[in-house]
This record gives sequence, structure tokens and C-alpha cells, in this order.
Amino acid sequence: MAKLKLALYWAASCGGCDVAVLDINEKILDVAALADIVLWPIALDFKYHHVEALPDGAIDVTLFNGAVRNSEQKELALLLRRKSKVMVAFGSCAYTGGIPALANFHNEQEIFQRVYLETPSTDNPQKIFPQIKTKVPEGELELPSFYDTVFTLDQVVPVEYFVPGCPPTVDIILKVVNALATNSLPPVGAVIASDKTLCDECTRKKENKKITKIYRTHEITPDPERCLLEQGLLCMGSATRGGCGALCVKVNMPCRGCFGPPPGVTDQGAKMLSALASIYDAQEEEGLARLLKEVVDPAGTFYRFGMAKSLLRRKRPATTEVGTR
Amino acid sequence: MKKVTIDPITRLEGHGKIEIFLNDDGNVANAYLQIPELRGFEKFCEGRPVEEMPRIVPRICGV
Repeated sequence: MAKLKLALYWAASCGGCDVAVLDINEKILDVAALADIVLWPIALDFKYHHVEALPDGAIDVTLFNGAVRNSEQKELALLLRRKSKVMVAFGSCAYTGGIPALANFHNEQEIFQRVYLETPSTDNPQKIFPQIKTKVPEGELELPSFYDTVFTLDQVVPVEYFVPGCPPTVDIILKVVNALATNSLPPVGAVIASDKTLCDECTRKKENKKITKIYRTHEITPDPERCLLEQGLLCMGSATRGGCGALCVKVNMPCRGCFGPPPGVTDQGAKMLSALASIYDAQEEEGLARLLKEVVDPAGTFYRFGMAKSLLRRKRPATTEVGTR
Repeated sequence: MKKVTIDPITRLEGHGKIEIFLNDDGNVANAYLQIPELRGFEKFCEGRPVEEMPRIVPRICGV
């Protein structure tokens, strides 16, 4: 078989997905045997113009991590889509928005104000903000335009496969590599992880007990054997796709939902609210009011990794269309 | 004035672009490093529970 052409790109991301690819250790040699890499900014010195010079469809697979939050990232998504036969939204940010999509509770102006004027370490008496075009004595400089809204990859270009996780686990990355090696990719649209919820793969004991109080993680020391949610900790397991190996809950940390909604669920946060409503012992309005008070940051917790993909998408007013400010 | 663009700069964490301007003799007149990236952790961490910070801010850089 001819070697595949593979691209790896990062948009609004932290580089953790790129490092996760390296976490497959010696199996990276299998990737090297299987594919020639044509773009991977963290590891190799290919430039954007090298990608532009390729014929359309010349790249077999692009693993695209990171959300789309500025015009450069959108341009790269469009470019790589045009050049690639298969586009993979790789990791939580590309799949559901990830941590960067927490910015969808704000807009460009609020973010710029905080970052470039208000932070304690900022000294900017002339109130200079990044400009899309800047005249300098030698010519002109250009920066991407910053969007009000963070988008998932599939809100910008068509995507064949989704690989969840912040970052995707080694097992899941190897699943992707093996599928490429044996040309046994799943049906288009597949999310490459478990088809069950995290709860289904969690080994903690569930006693179907009602809870009367929500605790913050520092307020109690949880029993390592029992379901975290039934101990009053906000664990997203029932509203989250499995496949991670229950890494967080195994170390007594409640799930934060980085694998996105389980199959058949559109809105992860709504699913979590529904789970909470069924387990919280609140018959009367008073009880419900108590529940709402006890959840410190509902939107930021229930949509920790999924704001861009959710039905909410962003804080209103939602005046932004894809590709505009 | 001739401009040489290095985009992206590679083999490091994060995004960067370098613009180098050359004068008529072909020597460097000036060079600019630009960071075409911002996510806004400074803003969207505000108001989040403090105990959640250790699970949010590692995503500033995951390398």
C-alpha cells in the first residue's frame, strides 16, 4: 500500500492533543511507517504555503485539533478540508469547543478589555489593542480577526470523524491509527470512543440514593468505592460518553464531561440537569431553589467542554454567524 | 521593500508568525514577531469556582 499523507494541525488549542499523539510512544514508528506527515507545526517544519501547493484532496487524513475562534483558524480549516479526503475533529476543542469555548460566555470586546487593559500584570496606558492591519515604517502587518464566538470544527467545515477527549487517550488514538492502517474506518459521522456513557464503565457502587446537598470538591473527602454523584459531588458521568477508562473518577475526581454527550444526546448540559433533577431530593419549590444555590457555576460546569456544540452555543445576544465577527 | 514571511513558526508550543522586511541591498531592515492567537483565559476563568482552576488552566499549555 502506498504511504498515506497525514496532516496534524492545531487551532485554538493547548498542544495537549499533539503531545497525546506522541504519548503513543514507540507506536509513533507505526505511524511513520504508515504515513508521510505533510503538516505538523509542533514537530515538523512545514509551512502553510507547502499545504497550499498540494493538489486538492492530496492529504488522506487531517487530524485537526483545537476550536475555531479566529479568521486564521477558519482559513486553515477550509484549506485543510479542501486538501484532505478525510477530516477528523481530534480532541474536545475541535469536537465540542472544549475549554476555549468557555469564552462563549463573553464577546471579543469583553475579552480584549480584560486581557489588554485590566489584568494586574498589564501596563497599557495608550490602550493599544491588537489590530487586523498595522502600518509600520517598512510596510503593513496583519493579524487574524478575533471572533465573538468560538466554533467547533464541524460548524465551519464538513467533518468525517470525531475523536473526543481532553486529550484523546492513547487507546483511542491507537484505535484511529489501526483503523487507518487496516483501511477499516467506521461509517462517516462516527465518534471514535465508547457507545455507552461514562457511568456504564465506572466501577463505583451505585445505590440509587437520593441526595440532599451538592458539595464542592474541597468540602468532602469522597468514599472511593461509591458513586460520586450519590455522594453529592457534581459528576458528569451520566451525561458523558465513555471510552476514557474513567480516568478522573478513578482518582476521586468527578467527571467534567470532556468526551462530550453520549450517543443520542444533543445537549450535554440539559442531560446533566435532567440527571440531577432525578437524583436530588427536592419535591417542593424550596428544595429546587436550594439545589440551584448549591450548584456554584452551573453553565461553566455542565458545559465545561461543550459550550460551542451545545444548544446554547453562546451567551446571548447570538448575533454572530460563522465567518463573520 | 521586500518581505519574507515565516508562517507558522514551528517546533514550539503555540502559534507565531515572523515578518522580515529587507532593504534594497537585501539586508534586514526590520523584523516582527506576531502571535496570531488568543483564547482569553484571563476573562473566562473569572467567576468560575476556585477549586476548578487546576482543571481549567492546564489547558493554557498542554505541552
